Amino acid sequence: MEKFDVVIVGAGLAGLAAAYTLAKDGIEALVIERGDYPGAKNVTGGRLYLNPVRQYFPADFWDNAPFERPVTTEIVTMMTQENAASMRFQALEFNNPPYQSYSVQRSKFDRWFGNQAAGAGAMLVSKSRVDDLIWENGKVAGVIAGGEELGANVVLACDGVLSLVAEKAKLREPGKPEDFAVGFKEIIELPEKTIEDRFNLLPGQGAAQLFMGSLTQGRFGGGFLYTNKTSLSLGMVVSIRDLMEKQPPIEAPVLLEEFKQRPEVAALIGDGELAEYSAHVIPEAGYKGIGRLYGDGILFAGDAAGLSLNIGLTVRGMEFAIASGVLAARAIKQAFDRNDYSAASLSVYQQLLQNSFVLKDMQTFKEAPHVLDNPRFFTYYPELMGNILKDLYSFGQEPKEGLVRTVRNRLSFSDITGILKDAWGGRKI
Amino acid sequence: MSRSISLKEKLGFNVFKHSAESHIRIIPGAEKNERLKLAVYVCPAGLYSLNENGDVTVTVDGCLECGTCRIACGPEILDWYYPDGGTGVQFRFG
Amino acid sequence: MNIIACVKQVFDLQQVRIKKETREPIMENIPLTIGDIDKNALEEGVRLIEQHGGKVTVVSAGSEDLEETIKEGLAMGADEAVLVIDSSLDSAESAVSAVVLAKTVKKIGEFDLILLGEGSSDNYSGQVGPRMAEILDLPLVSFVKSLKVDGHRIQAVRSLDDCMEVVEVDMPAIVMVMSEINEARIPAVTQILKAGRKPKQVLSLDEIEVDPAEMETKVETLSNLAPEQDRKQVIFKEDADTAAADLFNALQSEGFIGR
Repeated sequence: MEKFDVVIVGAGLAGLAAAYTLAKDGIEALVIERGDYPGAKNVTGGRLYLNPVRQYFPADFWDNAPFERPVTTEIVTMMTQENAASMRFQALEFNNPPYQSYSVQRSKFDRWFGNQAAGAGAMLVSKSRVDDLIWENGKVAGVIAGGEELGANVVLACDGVLSLVAEKAKLREPGKPEDFAVGFKEIIELPEKTIEDRFNLLPGQGAAQLFMGSLTQGRFGGGFLYTNKTSLSLGMVVSIRDLMEKQPPIEAPVLLEEFKQRPEVAALIGDGELAEYSAHVIPEAGYKGIGRLYGDGILFAGDAAGLSLNIGLTVRGMEFAIASGVLAARAIKQAFDRNDYSAASLSVYQQLLQNSFVLKDMQTFKEAPHVLDNPRFFTYYPELMGNILKDLYSFGQEPKEGLVRTVRNRLSFSDITGILKDAWGGRKI
Repeated sequence: MSRSISLKEKLGFNVFKHSAESHIRIIPGAEKNERLKLAVYVCPAGLYSLNENGDVTVTVDGCLECGTCRIACGPEILDWYYPDGGTGVQFRFG
Repeated sequence: MNIIACVKQVFDLQQVRIKKETREPIMENIPLTIGDIDKNALEEGVRLIEQHGGKVTVVSAGSEDLEETIKEGLAMGADEAVLVIDSSLDSAESAVSAVVLAKTVKKIGEFDLILLGEGSSDNYSGQVGPRMAEILDLPLVSFVKSLKVDGHRIQAVRSLDDCMEVVEVDMPAIVMVMSEINEARIPAVTQILKAGRKPKQVLSLDEIEVDPAEMETKVETLSNLAPEQDRKQVIFKEDADTAAADLFNALQSEGFIGR
């Protein structure tokens, strides 16, 4: 049996960040990817918040990365069945480098990242699936890929949200519908100029638009739209539990079709050409959903460790994957220097994560899934907002009422107490 | 995209590499399971359907490998694994 | 036994998208691979070696990316690679490819059997094998669906339109295989890793002594467009009997089915 220092399962952001970091430290890392190339199986909404992870790489590392557009404009749209209210936010500092976030497409981005890792000396094997772990004396001692045994001092599982490798090894339970959402999206191609005109952008700059309200028909979730260089990423994220339970039932792809038919959306994507339809599961349980981070001879990073955070207006996962990959590599380096790959030795990984933004942010927002799991955010508030704005903007034959009265007409005493209650609940995030 | 296109057409824009075996199997006896019936609603690729006998059937052609059905139904109902290396969907954009 | 398997580096055609307005293929960012039937040719070579002993040399001509692409062939079991790398070779026409490959084979010198796919994945001209046979003055067996080696002779079953033909030929010879001859193996991880360390000889056009006159292109590509998909978008919604009759009539009036 061939033996390696480190076998990394999956060439996603966590796996490639780890492989790059290990290679730079002179540690032999083999990355095994089941897709035709890194990124072939990976999907993002997609935006990468780059700022938190810049510190882990050389300053010029990202200069040639295939980012789509820096996000300089943030838009939030609240939808009801009848209307939509949008807020557009631009900050002058978003307009200048270093940009805090970029839209990305994983197939391009991960291939580039893979080349960086390989260039640094990591071994990358695509088109090969890891089927299982090898155990020796209660410790993980390698993997089985394509029927072949590959020994390793330590295995880094970066095999994504389902982490079937961990599940097979009984290191985690199968995921439950309440802890996950499904994201599904279309890539819609449009000329660069059209995109910039439609979203009011300076050349090369990008927008991110979130949609909440009636589009999910009472289900936890929302819509998203990101501008790429010559395409839009338009999709939805919906709780799997709610897709199963909420009545009347509706098929996920139908939700997306109906969302696209909305004039507010149709106007943005009109004349565009569909180029791809993709879907991916997203961990939504936040801090409570963090799985096992390490064991004897094994570490978990990225989605495989449940590192992902949805706090409503921002949904983050990729930078957690990159950071956890780098920190796993650092933990492995320490274990390598000690020549001790036991759980106790690898536990430094948890420390590193705790000292980083990864676990700090997840801890800060640990109540977020609970607070956000409130149907009022998806029905009541968008409707309230829509109704008030409708009253303000509508002109009929009757004389118009004063502003305060218009608002008061839509806000009863019980409405106000309800809002205060939600605000009180929201203090936890 | 003013014209609404069918899900099949949508999936036709993706690259799929053929695999010799089906990577999703309904565990025999579970075809009428109530939880399995919910897979019809959760699958973004619409691969699950209910036939006239009340059995749920699945086709893996067009599978996006997201795993939503796996999470919705659990391993007691679905025998689900990723397709072989180098097969299945290969995203060009992702 | 020394076997040479000639393979071609091609774009992964499944990845190619078509520009709707112009019907032109979009070739940016497309991964490169070894042609499908070429893999069957190589696979057959590796299987023969596993049975009879000897070595398989994978031979190819193409642009700089070839050194990376050929690793797949080495991982599948070829013992070594001999490559001719020149930027002009990427879209070389069949006549040029045949000259380059034949000269490379001559340079290698010793061989018993040259294996090729019946046609390349991209152009499928099926000309390189016959042209090489002419240049090298070797017997050619094409459309081969199974192959046996017995001493200095090979026995090949040719799959023709309306029959199977069994042919025996003395080696050295050139054999062009069909995809049904075998199922090409998917290399194991360790084979892929070892592939990078296998011997690889990279030659220039000068080194194989190609005469510039032989490199002259005689074929001019006028256009390379996807076929037009002219959908009539007719749906027959009546009851099954009427709809079937209407469909039949429609197909008949379009001349797709007989009178």
